[in-house]
Amino acid sequence: MALRVFSLNLVKTNRNLLQNGFKSPAPPTGHMAPAASFATEVTVQAAPAAVQKQKVSKAMRAYLKRANEHDEFMKTQHLEFQIGKRHLANMMGADAETFTQEDVDEAISYLFPSGLYDPKARPAMKSPDVVFPARKAAEFDETGRPFHSLFYTGKPNFFQLLHDIVEETNKLADLEERMLRRGNKPDENQKLEIDGFHLLPKDQLELLLVESIADIEYSNFCNSMDRLIASPYAYKSKTFIERFLKPLMDQSNQLEVPKPKIDGEGRQYITTYECLRKTARADVTVRLPGTGKISINGKNISYFEDENCREQLLFPLQFSELLGKVDVEANVEGGGPSGQAGAIRWGIAMSLRSFVDQEMIESMRLAGLLTRDYRRRERKKFGQEGARRKYTWKKR
Amino acid sequence: MSFLSRLAVKSSGFSCIRRMSVYPQHYAEPVVQKNKQIEQKSELAKLHHVPIKAAVNKASDTVFHDDTKEKMVNYITKKGNSALARSLLSKTMELIKRTQTEHMNLAKGDDKDKINTNAETLLKQAVENCRPLLQVTAIKRGGVNYQVPVPITTKRSYFLAMKWLLEAAREKERKVSLPEKLAWEILDAAHGQGRVVKRKDDLHRQCESNRAYAHYRWS
Repeated sequence: MALRVFSLNLVKTNRNLLQNGFKSPAPPTGHMAPAASFATEVTVQAAPAAVQKQKVSKAMRAYLKRANEHDEFMKTQHLEFQIGKRHLANMMGADAETFTQEDVDEAISYLFPSGLYDPKARPAMKSPDVVFPARKAAEFDETGRPFHSLFYTGKPNFFQLLHDIVEETNKLADLEERMLRRGNKPDENQKLEIDGFHLLPKDQLELLLVESIADIEYSNFCNSMDRLIASPYAYKSKTFIERFLKPLMDQSNQLEVPKPKIDGEGRQYITTYECLRKTARADVTVRLPGTGKISINGKNISYFEDENCREQLLFPLQFSELLGKVDVEANVEGGGPSGQAGAIRWGIAMSLRSFVDQEMIESMRLAGLLTRDYRRRERKKFGQEGARRKYTWKKR
Repeated sequence: MSFLSRLAVKSSGFSCIRRMSVYPQHYAEPVVQKNKQIEQKSELAKLHHVPIKAAVNKASDTVFHDDTKEKMVNYITKKGNSALARSLLSKTMELIKRTQTEHMNLAKGDDKDKINTNAETLLKQAVENCRPLLQVTAIKRGGVNYQVPVPITTKRSYFLAMKWLLEAAREKERKVSLPEKLAWEILDAAHGQGRVVKRKDDLHRQCESNRAYAHYRWS
């Protein structure tokens, strides 16, 4: 956000300069300031005194015109947004001054209910700063000379970033060598923890850099970051690394474990609806103090003739050591025996979460019992004998 | 590419190769056996934030589960009828057990303890005894096909061993059932005899005699 606002401000200063007719000469400023905001902080004042009197280059004039237009456009958009927000606030009977973006989203989903599947396709009202992507400020002075030494790479911010990473890596390598000579070892306590993080995805990196990058360039970025992180002294450049890390979600805490209900006999029970696998669909009820009774569509485990399917039913029970301690009731429809068994297995595993501790839940997750199996039959392709198999090739 | 960047690459949703898997690439394989989970505790702690693939529908954590047996079932299966394949293999195991117990009962004195009656270990022993180290592939040089010995991966060596065992078992008279013949072959191979072990030795001998051509692999 800050980045975008900043670039807008810059555009404004540029316009002021145009109006002033470049009357205020200033010494050239450094082109690359803190890497947090990438290259948007260039100012047009950076012209050396000698070239100051030369006429403004065509590119610069075109840029200033464009910047001007963009600025005007954003201004009207901001105004419209403010008015729209006020209207919404009035409609919802809220105070317009304290109407936040969250309230806006809520009001929109209330006033314009949409059944469209993709959230992106539903009506929305967002700040123009979010809707219109940030743009780069001028990268050259009024004579048309670029500020950045990497300007002609076309992606100065990206390549500057690569340079910075390598610089950081070299620094760490030097440090490591010095420490080795002195006989010191890296501090184990300060070791960089990256388990819960991953590198910024490509689209987010592009937003950060205000540049679009190719796949191979992104993989170059990943590789050089990996090299940096692999260094034993990586914790020394923690602040640099952390800017390009994104926290991952904690998987086993992701889904809330439901609280068991109490039935007429005073037993705890949990019902999981919509247990799906292939084309089978089941709902499973697990009751806690039980004797290991299993009933599927009114029959016992002999509902499944196949030995393997029976084993699948018992798998989560046996894994969580609750076999013979709970009762299971299931209603299944659709699909074949293997799909039905898979659906019930998932349902039992999901229900059992309420009756075991967190450690066991994590263990069950690692065993792949809590993941919904989305695999389906792969379709046949035309020009092929099956999903993957090709027709026999005959030359003539 | 390291694990970290692989995650990032996949979550950003681009890849150069077309992948057919339903799961995104950052999904980790499940560890179904509980004792394996305890064994790999430190590595699995890293998977705290990583989604896991669903366990397949023949995975289980019982004492009856065995990877070699599971693979064997896959190779026996014809046209997706794995229930039949499973029953065939269990019949084979039963026959092995019966013959070995009979041998044990007939044996006298110290020989009694030496006879292995565990069908699963016998199967594993048989597969281990049939595993080839090398293979010959035809490479064309100067218009002449040369049989060039090449090393094979562990996985392929296991595949070949099991395939040969099955081929030997399927080459039978109509009156003999597959489990019977397979049981004989497995018992023979477990003791280092029989046609499959001979086939392996033949292949090794051929590789040995063609060792002069080995350089065709790279030149």
